[in-house]
Amino acid sequence: MEIKRRDFLKLFGSLSGAVVLGEYALDEVMELPEGIIELAKNGPGVETWQNTICGLCPAGCGMRIRLIDGIPVYVKGNPIYPINKGGLCPLGLNALHSLYHPDRLKRPMRKNQSAGTSGWEDVSWDEALKTVSDKLVELRNTGKPHHVAFLGHEENGLMKRLIERFMQAYGSPNYYQCSSAQNNVVPYALLHGHTTMPTYDILNARLIVSFGSNFLEEGYSPIYYTKLYSHHEEQRTRYVQIESRLSLTAANADQWVPILPGTYGALALGLAYVLIREELYDKEFVQQRMVGFEDRVDRSGTRHVGFKNMVLGNYYPEKVEELTGVPSSVILQLGREIGNTRPSLVIGDHGAIDNTNGTYSAMAVHSLNALLGNFEKEGGIFFVDEPPFGGFKSVPLDATARKGRSQDPIGLSKGNAFPLTRFSIESFTKNVLSGTPYPIDVLFVLGGNPLFSALNQKEFSQALQKIPLVVSFDNMLNETSEHAHVILPHDHFMESWGEVSNVTSVGFTHVGMQHPVISRVYDTRHTGDVLIDLAKRIGGQVSRAFPLKNYEEELKRALNGVYNSGTGAIVTEGVGTHWIQFLRQRGWQIGQYASFDEFWDRLIKQGGWWNPIRKTKRWGQVFRTRSQKFELSSQALREGLDKLVVKTGKTNSAQDREFVLSQLNISARGDTVFLPHHEPVPYEVDMPLHLITFRVLSVRDGQGAALPMMQEMFGHSVRRYWQSWAEINPKTAELQHVRDGDWILVQSDAGNLKVKAKVSEGIMPNVIAIPFGLGHTSLGRYAKGHGVNPNSIMKNLYDMLSGKPATQATKVRISVAT
Amino acid sequence: MRIRAFTIFFLLFLAVSSYGQEIDLPTDPLNGRIVFEEKKCIGCHAIGGYGGTAGPDLSREQYFGSVLELASIIWNHTPQMNRKFRQLRMDRPKLTENEMLDLLGFLYYLRYLGEPGSVANGKRLLDSKGCITCHSVAGQGGKVGPDFKTIQRYSAPLYMVQAMWNHGPAMQEQIKKGKTKYPILTGQDMVDVAAYLRQVSSADVEVRMSVGNPKKGRVLFEQKSCSNCHVGEGKRKRIESGLIKIDLKKGVTEVASAMWNHGQAMLQYMQQASIHWPRFQGNEMADIIAYIYFLGFEDHEGSDRRGGRVFGEKGCNSCHVKGGEGKGPDLASLKKLDSPVRMIQLMWNHAGDMEDLLITQNKRWPELSPEEMRDLYAYLRKMSKE
Repeated sequence: MEIKRRDFLKLFGSLSGAVVLGEYALDEVMELPEGIIELAKNGPGVETWQNTICGLCPAGCGMRIRLIDGIPVYVKGNPIYPINKGGLCPLGLNALHSLYHPDRLKRPMRKNQSAGTSGWEDVSWDEALKTVSDKLVELRNTGKPHHVAFLGHEENGLMKRLIERFMQAYGSPNYYQCSSAQNNVVPYALLHGHTTMPTYDILNARLIVSFGSNFLEEGYSPIYYTKLYSHHEEQRTRYVQIESRLSLTAANADQWVPILPGTYGALALGLAYVLIREELYDKEFVQQRMVGFEDRVDRSGTRHVGFKNMVLGNYYPEKVEELTGVPSSVILQLGREIGNTRPSLVIGDHGAIDNTNGTYSAMAVHSLNALLGNFEKEGGIFFVDEPPFGGFKSVPLDATARKGRSQDPIGLSKGNAFPLTRFSIESFTKNVLSGTPYPIDVLFVLGGNPLFSALNQKEFSQALQKIPLVVSFDNMLNETSEHAHVILPHDHFMESWGEVSNVTSVGFTHVGMQHPVISRVYDTRHTGDVLIDLAKRIGGQVSRAFPLKNYEEELKRALNGVYNSGTGAIVTEGVGTHWIQFLRQRGWQIGQYASFDEFWDRLIKQGGWWNPIRKTKRWGQVFRTRSQKFELSSQALREGLDKLVVKTGKTNSAQDREFVLSQLNISARGDTVFLPHHEPVPYEVDMPLHLITFRVLSVRDGQGAALPMMQEMFGHSVRRYWQSWAEINPKTAELQHVRDGDWILVQSDAGNLKVKAKVSEGIMPNVIAIPFGLGHTSLGRYAKGHGVNPNSIMKNLYDMLSGKPATQATKVRISVAT
Repeated sequence: MRIRAFTIFFLLFLAVSSYGQEIDLPTDPLNGRIVFEEKKCIGCHAIGGYGGTAGPDLSREQYFGSVLELASIIWNHTPQMNRKFRQLRMDRPKLTENEMLDLLGFLYYLRYLGEPGSVANGKRLLDSKGCITCHSVAGQGGKVGPDFKTIQRYSAPLYMVQAMWNHGPAMQEQIKKGKTKYPILTGQDMVDVAAYLRQVSSADVEVRMSVGNPKKGRVLFEQKSCSNCHVGEGKRKRIESGLIKIDLKKGVTEVASAMWNHGQAMLQYMQQASIHWPRFQGNEMADIIAYIYFLGFEDHEGSDRRGGRVFGEKGCNSCHVKGGEGKGPDLASLKKLDSPVRMIQLMWNHAGDMEDLLITQNKRWPELSPEEMRDLYAYLRKMSKE
């Protein structure tokens, strides 16, 4: 069933004047079991409030829920939770729609072609789990535990730890997150050895220069950034946004610098040129904590070019202007401003790195922070400490598990692509399709919707069809779970225990707690409980790895470590970092808890724990490279490419390396290969326009499209509701004979789509931008059939080193649609 | 010696007059800190260097005192504070009685929390106080006690004192055997030694304590039999500086040091009286000391007779006229005034309007000394009862 916008507005109009929960006629908007409706009508009307963490995206915002007689009726931001401080995005504010969504899956399902038109039959939990566990037992008994793969999405903290433990104990090396989490860290791992994303001290910076990072809308935690941004309004921090499109962040910045897609790295190096040329860089840091800045002569007497001379020779402003479209005068002004403002901070993300040259671009952007000496200091970059969770002992592996774990990961490229990562959706798909090095017999899919977001949608769909048992945990059918054989629907976050800790890029250690605010509306379960149940059914060492009754027990075990550490504080009204620091200096902890139970009750009641005080780190902990320095000339990259040469069976001669570089489409040669530099993107010459995409706060990765209010808000800034649009610069529109509101045909080498044009000055000439998130063929009645999915016409290209999908690498042509 | 030490501690609790307890003791400085931040006090006042600079840093010693002493300080700087509010275009915050109690409790707690110690001085003290005769640091020193490198990392100095206290009898035995001197330590000495030991310890995890809860401390005071010798609940006495040498302004370790320094005499007395040496675990010592520390929170009784004079001399009676015919309400008509905090809250909340009135009438702000505050409270309490 599909719902058009007009139908929804009619329903919504009647909704606003009605007793919401008692209206049977509103099943299209919300569907509730009889018991809840009865309680809503006849209950005593007792009001309570409870705190939890929003689970609709991984941003980890604290949420306060109003309940009448135990039924959630309203949500708002938790004002004492330090990430969002009472703020909540539109998606979060509509969390009740997702709880009472009419298309929620109500119980486990199994695919059965004879089960009628839907092809699905309802099954009991026992039956569903037996189907899965029988297959898992069979694979282990036949020595094939590695034939099982787990595709997660953006889970973190304890849930990630639980899945890792399950896969370890079971014996598979194939747990991946299709959110590109593994891919995003590659540039930072090359430069300073960390496998986690750095955190930026935005709060204390006086100048923030963002390369493509639309953090107010697409960031890891947009409301967190919004709160920081509003603070900056008061302290007059300057924002400069470098981006092809006037995004929400660019619109709120002090200066927007439009740039051609795929050239962000070149601009960063142009700014580095100004810093070096004008001697505005941190000489002490460069001298003591950096490798590869100056030229060097090795033991054999060979001279190696360093970053400084490479930049001075190749990235002078006029040259960079040719590459990027950014005027040389702007490059000079911006370089000087960065160098003369302290602390100034440089951030790179989204448009800057979602390209075939993303790793090199991110390295170039990040090298500016190194030139400014921006590490472990106020207004700079740091790494947040992990929460002091209590844990299990290491997993005791049996012989089957050890053998399975020793197999090559299925996500690893078998060719020469992506040498610095063990997972890329492209490699995974190819390997599953070819059955090499082994077939995948069971695939678990948790969260996200990889088939919708992938660039290789056709191949990924074929891969899913090839796997004998696909198990999904989705609680609403989407493009990916339509291909599943069994669905074990996950609870809504308001119905279950959970935790969201250390959200990427948030500047302090934190643990947000979810707990059952309402009893399960339907017969669903928490995936953590399901995995523990499966482990027990598998038995043996797998079962012994989980000495737990349920996931709640796992949470308590972990939080006991936090309690015992005596560090940090349960989130509390109005108490900021200073008080915690004041107490810490004197050896006091902030809380008074006579027992863990008291701590736990308070933690659940308040919504979480945080510790804004970071441990002091030695330089060896800040830079985990072999040299314990920031490696502008990356030793890890050198070793990665050397390994690739060996893998191809060559002898590591200059010609062999040449062969590998050409396979990776790396045009640089010599020492430059290991330095941050600009790699040209292999754009089609016969296509006139760059196609770029962006995400909208209300829909995020596409999941928000399931909610009608989010569809209503999707294009509120351009007055395009429930549909997609293509932003086009007036000059481009004129050249292409397109007017605002025209339907246009956007054609790439990979396909075409039809979309309405939005002519706007907020985008560079020769670039068109289409929002990502709509164009579903599934995901419930509100999502299906609205808008277009720009990823469906993108070329199947990836970052040559990290394997991240290159969503900014396609060129298109447009014409007015007939 | 025994008698002298016992007398000191006896005096500690057997100080001067007492009156029925009217204030519900604070239990956690966090509550007051929340008020301090939410009411934006922090915007003007810093604590330990953190916070605004428009007003003074409230962790300074002069901002310490009992409830009515603190009230006197706050009341007397009302005009300056009001000017600052107007300058910053801020509304003067209103406080409930509970918020006022939490805020005063928070300010009183600040000295209890102590100050960070000096590592260098701690190292010197370890030598000069003879600790190193029995203990060692990384193998250097005596072999009788444990090596400080191997002990837990005590972040809270009080945790170290608690550990010392618990092994006090064994240590005293050793001191006797070795004919060494019992180490007398000031509160600051303890903080410094703890800072040094914290650095020396190789333990990964720091052991912290929660800030003491005086209410729990009161219960422990009985449970640990402190009240067998010292005056306990029911006959609660107030600590008077001058009679005893505990300076509460110097924090929790000052009380701890008084306990430690009389440990030798105490042990002898207890052995003779067949009383067990009290041992503390978890947060117990912090709680007991919080109880002792908060004995100074409540004021001694004022004189209602003198209070009546203050009411007249300060001009309160020109507005608060009997029968309610003045510009302010008749205070006798107020509901029973049963807590000084209630009085302070009422005074705080009407201070803005009152200042406006005084300015228009060309009258000076009526400053009140702590003694006048006590007398005024006694008078108003009596009046409201009547």
